[in-house]
Amino acid sequence: MSARAILRALRQRRLGVSINIGLVVFVALYGAIVLVQPNYLEPGLAMNFLRRAAPLVILAVGALYVILTGGLDLSVGSTVTLVVLAASILINGDPARTWPVILLLYGMGLVIGISNGVIVAFLKVPSIIATLGMMLLVNGVALSWSGGAPRGDLPDNFRNIGRLVLTDAPVVGSLPIAVLVLAAVVALGWWGLAGTLFGKRALAIGDNPRAAELAGVPCRATRVAAFAVSSLSAVTAGILVGGFSGVSVIAGKGMEMQAIAACVIGGADLLGGRGVIAGAVFGAVSLFALFTLLNLLGLPQALRDSVQGAVLVLAVGASVWRNGKAT
Amino acid sequence: MIMAAEIALEMRAITKRFPGVVALSAVSFDCRRGEIHAICGENGAGKSTLMNILGGNYRPDGGEIRLDGKPVRFRHPQQSRAAGVSIIYQELSLLPHRTVAENVFLGVEIARRGVLATQAMRARTKELLARIGSAIDPGAPVSSLSIASRQIVEIAKGLLLDARILVLDEPTAALEDRDAQKLFTLLRDLRQSGIAIVYISHRLAEVTEIADRITVLKDGAKVWTKPRSEIDLGMIVSAMVGRDLSDFYPKRPAGAPGAAILSVRDASNAALHDINLEVRAGEILGVGGLEDSGKAELARAIFGDAPFASGSIRIAGGALDAHSPRAAIAAGVGYLPSDRKLEGLAMKQSVRDNALLALHAMRRLLSIPGRGGLAADAIDKQLVARNVRAADFGQQIASLSGGNQQKVILCRWLAHDCRLLVCVEPTRGIDIAAKAAVYETMRAFADAGNALIVVSSDLPELIGVSDRLVVMHEGRIVGELPRGSTEEEIMRLSLGLGCRDPAGRESA
Amino acid sequence: MTAASPFRRALPRRGGSIASLLTILSLAIYVGAALATGQISQLSYEGVVGLAQRTVALGLVALGQTFVILVASIDLSVATLVSTVAVLASFLMKGDPAMIAPAVAVCLVVSAALGLVNGALVAYAGVNSLIATLGAGLVVQGVLAASFTYLPGSVAPQFLALAYKGPFGVSYAILIFAALALGSSFVLSRTLFGARIFAVGGNLAGARLAGIRTERYVVAAHLICSLMAGVAGLYLAARLQSGTPWIGRDGIYDLESIAVTVIGGTVLSGGRGGVAGTVAGVLLFACLDGAFNMLGVDAFFKQVLRGAIVIAAVAVHAARTKGHVA
Repeated sequence: MSARAILRALRQRRLGVSINIGLVVFVALYGAIVLVQPNYLEPGLAMNFLRRAAPLVILAVGALYVILTGGLDLSVGSTVTLVVLAASILINGDPARTWPVILLLYGMGLVIGISNGVIVAFLKVPSIIATLGMMLLVNGVALSWSGGAPRGDLPDNFRNIGRLVLTDAPVVGSLPIAVLVLAAVVALGWWGLAGTLFGKRALAIGDNPRAAELAGVPCRATRVAAFAVSSLSAVTAGILVGGFSGVSVIAGKGMEMQAIAACVIGGADLLGGRGVIAGAVFGAVSLFALFTLLNLLGLPQALRDSVQGAVLVLAVGASVWRNGKAT
Repeated sequence: MIMAAEIALEMRAITKRFPGVVALSAVSFDCRRGEIHAICGENGAGKSTLMNILGGNYRPDGGEIRLDGKPVRFRHPQQSRAAGVSIIYQELSLLPHRTVAENVFLGVEIARRGVLATQAMRARTKELLARIGSAIDPGAPVSSLSIASRQIVEIAKGLLLDARILVLDEPTAALEDRDAQKLFTLLRDLRQSGIAIVYISHRLAEVTEIADRITVLKDGAKVWTKPRSEIDLGMIVSAMVGRDLSDFYPKRPAGAPGAAILSVRDASNAALHDINLEVRAGEILGVGGLEDSGKAELARAIFGDAPFASGSIRIAGGALDAHSPRAAIAAGVGYLPSDRKLEGLAMKQSVRDNALLALHAMRRLLSIPGRGGLAADAIDKQLVARNVRAADFGQQIASLSGGNQQKVILCRWLAHDCRLLVCVEPTRGIDIAAKAAVYETMRAFADAGNALIVVSSDLPELIGVSDRLVVMHEGRIVGELPRGSTEEEIMRLSLGLGCRDPAGRESA
Repeated sequence: MTAASPFRRALPRRGGSIASLLTILSLAIYVGAALATGQISQLSYEGVVGLAQRTVALGLVALGQTFVILVASIDLSVATLVSTVAVLASFLMKGDPAMIAPAVAVCLVVSAALGLVNGALVAYAGVNSLIATLGAGLVVQGVLAASFTYLPGSVAPQFLALAYKGPFGVSYAILIFAALALGSSFVLSRTLFGARIFAVGGNLAGARLAGIRTERYVVAAHLICSLMAGVAGLYLAARLQSGTPWIGRDGIYDLESIAVTVIGGTVLSGGRGGVAGTVAGVLLFACLDGAFNMLGVDAFFKQVLRGAIVIAAVAVHAARTKGHVA
């Protein structure tokens, strides 16, 4: 087959298995990483890579739920910040408090998510505005509560979730707990979309909410659930971030955009109605691989923003080309 | 002898391909000055594609266009309009939040040094509307107009251009008869002044009334072009489908209707008043009336989309609390919306997922997609049984023709096990073969012991498909007619004349 | 059709009414807070002028954002552009009054360039506007942050006049903002260009079928937006005497400009709204800020309230939306 025919087949998704573009990008980027630093082929470093990428992947899974319904959740970054600061203040170094507080944090996340969902589904506020407002609000709460500076302390049993590495795992040798959490979240996320009717309903809502409504899809409940999932995944990501990065007032800064970018790189349609978990996952690890690569190449932190920006535009451009445009 | 100079528009051997389908293959078409040339064909026959090419929206893969003998190539609608081609679409190109005048002058606004001459535009718009016999206020926002009025605005917009070639795409689809007649008078005037008019329509009665020549397209190719004097309706239909006109509507039901499936008593809401209605098992009830008669609102009320505020509804014996579509569906009511693109289909999803949508919506959340009742095999069988033509049911539904898309929506409700199917304009914008298939499916559904309510503006369809029909006027049911009624009787009731009492309460 | 509740019927229908309502509300809050806390000085001439001054930066950015949202697009690169222009202006001037004009010119050219890139990505390459402008903004942000240390400088002292001097105590900046606001309003409501902007946003396909070159208007909208952001950057440079790469981000100009535009009645799906509402929205934010300051509200808690107000303000007139919202 000529190159042109292959490209056209890829474009029309006729090559049997439709290859997720995020996977392609990830393989390319990780390949580049390995070229620069061959150690990354060893299970140890590879696991470490996954450990550090876990929060972003988890956020992307949550973001996908909302994107499928045609919305966006801009509040997850500040939720991460809130989780980190609140955990630190509430646990205050006392390991006995860790699990009750984690439960409480999930409760907070649920409140944030359901509020987002209700504002969008019942008050008809566009999700960009609703979650933007929520972002300001939650960030304000986080800063208010902490007084603008990290307070309290996170005990080891909390931090270990994010940073502990089991050293005697079979096959891979070192296995970070974070990677286990990541696997669990991805599995749950996949099950939610593919193993229940939620995914089909969300896709219908994102594609044509009026048609979905007239076919009996419970639009409002589905939207609320999507935002709830997004916030709960933000809480999970926050726990991991608090684990390995410690407490900081800018813990989650910019993460909402990275999560959205990850989904886009993985092929999700920002207007709703298209996207898969595999895409979100590969998109997220691709993005993180990009960051890692730029780090290894010694690129100044500042220019990484530029490269991220360029990759984003190229990824969407590729997606547009792939899905074709009207003549 | 036709002199070449008389031919205003010539499209020679036009070919157009889209991924996976040849929309037009070497179609040649011409229109003379001072002629009304009609184009008929099923959806998917290529009429819209041909006009989109003429309008500069699509570019042809082969062939050429000549205006007054000179070859032209349009890369953008602006060029086509500048060349004197005006295409009147079906109200989908209007801006709802702008005024009538702003819409009419869209793209050709009168501006002196960049500043809009609003008064001048409004005055001219008023003139144009008067010419079509309409008194719509040029300063009114389009969102406040009915669909018929919006179509009139669309026509005025097309007339503004002072075009040499006027193309009308299904112009009477949304119009009432009196407006349609005014349009025909106008078209005859325009023909008199030498404009070449291309008239695309499914309404064969109109076409034979107004056209000088008729061209039939089928499957992307031209079947024939003949002058009106040589044609009758039967010829057109057989050219379009290859089947007899008499086979069109399904045969009458075998037995008498059974128990009542739907029973509405003294129901009202803001748009409807004192509705009393009964539909029995095995029955197809037609609902007729003019644009604002409330017939569409009746359908929406029964389906729970714009519910009744008072009165009682019972379905298959139990009370029906249709406060939302979901509640109505749970009780066994299905709904075929009039605008499938806007209200029926999730265009990016697959054919299969669209067919399964009601099941996906109503089954327990934790059901596994693709298993049991949601399995691909089961729904594929349904789709095949309904003759949905698609290369692969996993492909996007956007790539199917209108007729096939409508069949998919029917499958959706058949899969859900409804007792009552409410259909609004069920065959709008679909080809003849698909129409026949839809009618067959409806008849089979009724014969299986269920019931249908068919709301339609298409009188022949209403008469052909219904076992009995009710007519609405200003939110009330003003009459009931049995099988075999004439269009005149329906029209009289629709206009509010000869107000008979509703034909008695049905004996239970 | 269900009967509209009295509440719904009481809500303003046209954009102009939203602007009036917001203005009255804003002033009521401001005056109320001043009276309640006894800070009558805030109601003096200087106080009110100070209030107006505080609307300039966000106001300029929001004016530009209004054009973009009207064509159903969005611009997330404005914050970066504000920072970039502030830094660039300081660097180019380096305190030398002779360099004021060239510096301003270069800054406007750079702004225009970014606007054209954004517009081209959205209109010609078909890239989603959120991603396109976010991406373009990130590229610029990165370059700016990386090269900032090589771009030291401060504006010429005479340039400060833009922000600090003017007739009757009203700074030139306020006057320029007012002029641009009035100009924008005129353009949108009374010119051909404005009518086309509404058309492109209201029904893109329909506008195209009517022969309008829709891409050009989308690019133009993005161009205007970036130029306005550039002017805002120049203003901030004059106000702060120099720039840093984080002025834009710290001021949350991107998201807040979107918020005030939507609060002011311009719909995210395009084709509806206007500048009057946006300016009223900016005024609301400025009055709230002023009121919070007078009431001694904690800086962080202000943010909480701001977030809640953004949601509430949009919820109030979104209540009329009958269809679905994503």
